[in-house]
Amino acid sequence: MADHEAVKVLDLKGLPCPMPVVKMSQEIGSVKVGEVIEVHTTDPGSLSDFPAWAKSSGNQVLESQQDGGVIRIFVKRLK
Amino acid sequence: MADTIYFLILVPMVYLAAAVFVVGIVGRVARILASPPHGSTLRIFPARRASGLRALADTFLMPQARKHTPVFWVFLMLFHLAFLLLILGHLDLIPGVGLMPADSPHMLGGGAVGVAVTLAILYFLLRRMQGPVREISTLGDYLLLLLLLFLALTGGMISWANSWNQANGGFVISKQDFGAYLASLLRFDFASPRDLLPGSHYIVVVIHVFLANLFLMVFPFTKIIHTFFAMPLNRLRRG
Amino acid sequence: MEAALQEKLKGLMASKLSREMRLYLDTCARCGICIEACHAYASMPETRYTAVARAETIRRLFRRYFKAEGRLLPGLGETIELDDAALEKVHETAYTCTGCRRCMTYCPFGIDTQMIQGIAKLLLIGADREPKLLTMLADMSIAKGETIRDTKGAFEQAVRNLEAEVIEKWRGEAGREAIPVGVKGADVLYVALAGKHSIIPAAAIMNAAGEKWSLSYFEAVNFGAFVGNPEKTREISRRIIDEATELGVREVAICECGTAYRVMKHQTGRHPFEVISFVDLMERYLRDGRIRVDRAKLDGSRVTYHDPCQMARNGGVIEEPRRVLRELAGDFVEMRPNRGENWCCGGGGGLVAMGEKDFRMKSARVKAEQVRATGATVLATACENCHTQLSDLNEHYGMGVRVAFLSQLVADALVQA
Repeated sequence: MADHEAVKVLDLKGLPCPMPVVKMSQEIGSVKVGEVIEVHTTDPGSLSDFPAWAKSSGNQVLESQQDGGVIRIFVKRLK
Repeated sequence: MADTIYFLILVPMVYLAAAVFVVGIVGRVARILASPPHGSTLRIFPARRASGLRALADTFLMPQARKHTPVFWVFLMLFHLAFLLLILGHLDLIPGVGLMPADSPHMLGGGAVGVAVTLAILYFLLRRMQGPVREISTLGDYLLLLLLLFLALTGGMISWANSWNQANGGFVISKQDFGAYLASLLRFDFASPRDLLPGSHYIVVVIHVFLANLFLMVFPFTKIIHTFFAMPLNRLRRG
Repeated sequence: MEAALQEKLKGLMASKLSREMRLYLDTCARCGICIEACHAYASMPETRYTAVARAETIRRLFRRYFKAEGRLLPGLGETIELDDAALEKVHETAYTCTGCRRCMTYCPFGIDTQMIQGIAKLLLIGADREPKLLTMLADMSIAKGETIRDTKGAFEQAVRNLEAEVIEKWRGEAGREAIPVGVKGADVLYVALAGKHSIIPAAAIMNAAGEKWSLSYFEAVNFGAFVGNPEKTREISRRIIDEATELGVREVAICECGTAYRVMKHQTGRHPFEVISFVDLMERYLRDGRIRVDRAKLDGSRVTYHDPCQMARNGGVIEEPRRVLRELAGDFVEMRPNRGENWCCGGGGGLVAMGEKDFRMKSARVKAEQVRATGATVLATACENCHTQLSDLNEHYGMGVRVAFLSQLVADALVQA
């Protein structure tokens, strides 16, 4: 499970609904197409929210990792 | 020429106005009934028992208005009650209805209801001309109030003018005279109203009837339609 | 504006003209009694923030295109053309209204401003001018219905990782999952939000009550409703309805999210299960003695409760939270007005998700004053949106309270048997 080269790390731990996805969608525009953002969160819902968001917004979740309570999600901007 | 115009206003236009009123309302209600129902509740909470009765009370007593705008509420109640009495008073002119004693020369309320309605309309106008209510008002709102105001004023004038001749043994145009005019309208005999309504303020009667015709004709197409829609709306809120 | 777009928007408007909508649009007397009802107007008295002005924007379009008198006599000042300027106005109207329906308690006819704003929101969607963020969130929810098969495993793993935190609040029976997922024949399907704060306290409480429950794979919130898209609203609810039907649960308990509760409870028709709010469930556990709480936890705190509009006035969950709080707190005070007449917090209708912080803070000055007047130190509520907005207000106006979910207060006070 090699880490992906993330150009930006977003700490979205403990945010109220729906802020993690909102912040993600705002930040994705700040990186170039093909670059990766790494998200840290503690919300279990993020594990299904981010892939669903990626699918509907045309981006890609490369991988999600869980380390105890902290969830790391790698999102690649595709367009 | 003038007599022809007066006749047209006092007879055919009354029929036209009544027809527009009825067809307009039926059409409007039919349009609503033909639309699909919303499907889910539009009520607000807390839920209270006897929601139907409460919707009735909301419609006729306007507790929301009483709570939030008490002075306005007093005039609203005054206006609507007086207006209802005026309708009854006018129906009472038709021979045989008999709400007032047959020998009374007065209309129901004896002129006081006309004064009450006029005061209420004046309050509505003043209220509408200032503060935030002015900013939400449209030209139509003012025109309607002015229509009502002149309707009430001409009605009051007729009522008042009639009493001038009381010392000489009776009203200029008596209740019986108006009764005969209304009966003639109901018979569709197209009798000349000038023959039925003697008196020099005949022109005021013509104006009054003209304004009443206008009122009936705009009724279905303006916010006055709330007369019919207040109850179903209040039922939606009460659930 | 292009004729084709105008035609499309007229069609969308027509699709909203139910019986009830026509009654609402036909009736307003512009009496102005509703003027004082809106928290936005009460906080910054500008006519555009009154219920009547908001509705009038839509009414003028309605009269222009759907009423003979509007076509014949547009000069009476009561119609407007559907053009770019009108859409700007429609946008302002729709997204400065939180849909709290407080004005319905003022109007002599009970006209539903939120319902009328439903037209505004649909027009904006049709013109591709709606807040894209809300549509994005709704689309995400819908996509989740399709991707859930692939992400189930990861979600379940994340839920496992939370169990230790549940057990901190309540030691369950050995061998029993602290957060059960996908339980066939469960009595209660609990629908949470993405965040763990909406899962952990609820899980501890249901475990303490010995409930046979299951956590939904989906989030309760319905962004389709926020953006005013009827199809998306239905699709988002349908995921949960299907899940509940498949598991064969008796009850679906919606987490502390006002819109989620109201949509599921009152706007999705009849189901083979009952829809309740998690507040109902906590109240029932306390009433039946299935859980016990330690009042000492809130000793020295004065607690007040903010009725979320979609829970109380629009949902009917009014006395239950009060019964819960009276069990929890020795010093519970009401804010005034309260219950069905409570001031909106100013965060509803999608405003919290959209950001809009400047408007949210300015338009809710009256809320901050209302809370301050109670002298409370703990401000409880039962809605995610309200919680976020009240927390922002707390900071902005220096209210000096602790904003807390009811479930959080109950979970913190659970007495281990």
